[in-house]
Amino acid sequence: MTDPTGCIVKSRCVGTAAVVYASDYLNKVSGERIERECKRQLDSGCQALVIDFHGTEIVNSIGISILLDIIDVAEKSGAQLVFSDVNHQTIQLFDVLGLTRHVALASDEHEALSLLAQSSAA
Amino acid sequence: MTRRVLGRVEKAHFIGRACELERIVNHPHKPGAAGLLVLVAPTAGVSELLRQAYDELFLQQGKVIPIYFALPSPARTAVSSAIEFLNNFLIQYLAFRRNEGGLVHTSFTLNELLSLAPPADFEWFEEVVAGYKRERFSNDDAAFVQWCLSIPHRVPNGNGRPFVMIDAVSPHDESDFYRQLIGSFSKRASSYLIAGLRRQLLRASSDLGAVEILRLQQLPITEAAALADSLALRHNVPLSEEVRDLLVQQFQASPFLLDGFIYAAREARVPLTSYLSCQRLYVDQLLGGSLNTYFARSLEAAAPEPDVRRELIRLLHDGRKNGQAVPVETFKSVAGAQNVESLLRRLHAQELVNWSGSAVQFSGGGQPWEDYLKGRYRLEILFESRARVVADLISTSLKRAPRTMARYYRRLSSMGVQTALSAFDEQRVPTVLFDYGRYSNVYKGLPIEQIAAAIDADSELLRLPQVVHVASCTAFDSAAVEVFDEERCGVAHAFTEGKYSDETQVVWLAAEIDSKLEAELALTRSWCDWLNSVARGAGFKSIQIWLIAREGFSTEAMDYLLRIGAYGSSAQQFELLTARLRETAAATQATQAMDEFEMVVPMGGDNELIVAHTVEEIARRLNFKPEAINQIKHAVVEAFINASEHSLSPERRIYQRFRLESDKLVITIASRGIVPPQIDAPHGQDGLARENDALGLRRGLGLGLIRTLMDEVEFERVDDGTSLRMTKYLRN
Repeated sequence: MTDPTGCIVKSRCVGTAAVVYASDYLNKVSGERIERECKRQLDSGCQALVIDFHGTEIVNSIGISILLDIIDVAEKSGAQLVFSDVNHQTIQLFDVLGLTRHVALASDEHEALSLLAQSSAA
Repeated sequence: MTRRVLGRVEKAHFIGRACELERIVNHPHKPGAAGLLVLVAPTAGVSELLRQAYDELFLQQGKVIPIYFALPSPARTAVSSAIEFLNNFLIQYLAFRRNEGGLVHTSFTLNELLSLAPPADFEWFEEVVAGYKRERFSNDDAAFVQWCLSIPHRVPNGNGRPFVMIDAVSPHDESDFYRQLIGSFSKRASSYLIAGLRRQLLRASSDLGAVEILRLQQLPITEAAALADSLALRHNVPLSEEVRDLLVQQFQASPFLLDGFIYAAREARVPLTSYLSCQRLYVDQLLGGSLNTYFARSLEAAAPEPDVRRELIRLLHDGRKNGQAVPVETFKSVAGAQNVESLLRRLHAQELVNWSGSAVQFSGGGQPWEDYLKGRYRLEILFESRARVVADLISTSLKRAPRTMARYYRRLSSMGVQTALSAFDEQRVPTVLFDYGRYSNVYKGLPIEQIAAAIDADSELLRLPQVVHVASCTAFDSAAVEVFDEERCGVAHAFTEGKYSDETQVVWLAAEIDSKLEAELALTRSWCDWLNSVARGAGFKSIQIWLIAREGFSTEAMDYLLRIGAYGSSAQQFELLTARLRETAAATQATQAMDEFEMVVPMGGDNELIVAHTVEEIARRLNFKPEAINQIKHAVVEAFINASEHSLSPERRIYQRFRLESDKLVITIASRGIVPPQIDAPHGQDGLARENDALGLRRGLGLGLIRTLMDEVEFERVDDGTSLRMTKYLRN
């Protein structure tokens, strides 16, 4: 998927869920791109979001702040949100900042989609 | 025995001033050396120092030709002074060139000097003689004076470089010749030295352009005592150690006054072996001897008219007695509007008063000046009988002598509270060093080595403020002199948190308490009251009281100190603290050059990643675990972003410094520009741990995050912008 600035944010739809792939460094610029893509997916009828951090080495505080915005938006839309493949150090950071209280974590994209499937079945 | 040329004493008998002498002798050898101003405290003595420097340079027989010239009395005309300068210069030049020191004590006509000139100098000497005849009778005095003063520059290259040393310690600022001399030297690049009263010479120094400064204070106490011993030996005056030490204190270690007094003892054949004989001679000298001459000349120079002088004595005496500053108008009423400036300038130059433009303070001059004023006041204003005045002065000085010595002994035993305050410099020290109660509970009775080791491991630290000014309590409250020994108390103006602002400004008031046992509540309370009263009187807003008692404080006293937010330390705690302050300062200097990396990175362009990868590499060298390395990287990224986002730095650069120490990595990230507002927010990590905070916070996470990731985080004081220091400790 291409955003209006011309930079690519990789994403794909799996049923009613969308998987959005974060870049290697989640900062203001890349974070806003992800936020925009998440909103776009929700606007187009997605009921669940997976943000995959497979290639993400560092998330800075502005990136975290944007992730908090995405959590807000997802909550307001009634959509589920899962973070997948987050590296150990970033999980620690999310823990410290309390993000893990508001979002589910999965070890990879596959597990994230399974979690969402179980949740919607329940 | 070394040859003497101008020196009045053998080099071996010249006591003290070794560093100053070396600096003067080396000065003309320095490439491009121009002026050296020697700023002399009144009665600190400089003439013999210059003469000794002259002799050293003379005996070197090198390229530098020393010339010593004592400025003649201001009563002499400029022309007469200029001729004397010319004559002195030529004689001393010839003495040096011929290596005949004895010539400097003779006098010659110009033609005789010409006949003594070595062949290499004959031609320019001949020109000088011809020039002298031409200029002397040209009817232009100013041009003639300038011509005489230019003589050092007429020495041909290759014949040596004259180094002119002007001894101008007597008040000369009114003399035409002095002004012309300053003017002449300011225009020329050759090396010279002018020694004068510090307050007077500083005023003139602005006309001299770029000059070096050498400050000459009174001698250190030990050197002053050695000087007194040496003088007594030379003059064959019996001098006991007790009297010697009293003299050193009474004359505030002034070489000039010690010299004059011991010489007077020789003349009067008075053995200086008891306080009584010493103080009898002292009073005799005050009312009619060398001390009298010195102070009388200062007064006569300031107020030549006897009537004015008499009123001046009354004013100075009353002023000292009251201890209050008076407006300049008070002096105008004595000296007249026309003369008041000249009068005050002279008294100020001699440091007998402090004149700040609109007000005059009467401190200065020391005990001899005070005694001299008292004597003259009673004799000339009150017309008391001389016998009564003499008897009273002797009795008073005898009664004062033990107090003077007691004060000196207390000073000697002072722990150095002012020095300790000056060394604070934002260092982190164990809090327990300021809390005698806790220290006593935990450490009392343990061997000092064990205590020191335990304190080193203490993780509860107090960040000391940056101290910008330290003075004695008595400097803020003249009445405090009744309570505080000057050296045993300190008022330190300081700033905390590395920032200069009203909120971070604090004044530390510290005092050493005399108490054989643990200081009791009543004593402790009274010291706090005194310090609080100094603070109130001086208008200090935020204060920190710190008391130091040799054996610490009783439980009640310590409870009281804790209740009022004051600190209390024992002498042992104080010693541990000062040792730590010294060690930290030395360690900082020693480690600064080693294992330190610096990089400057432009803001923007995700450049924080470059810094993060660099710090990752550095942290690996210290064998940090991967998790810690990641925390460091995150912290660095956050600090970089903070600096980029908030500083408004026009240069758009961020300065990184990484210092490796054995057990930690210290990272400093600095930028110029404005100080971001979150720095003013309360510190701590609690904001991050609270429930729901993450959703509540959006921006401003960075600093909190850094505090979570690193072990120590603090803002260093910088003049412009911010400098964030982050420390991560190695843990196995």
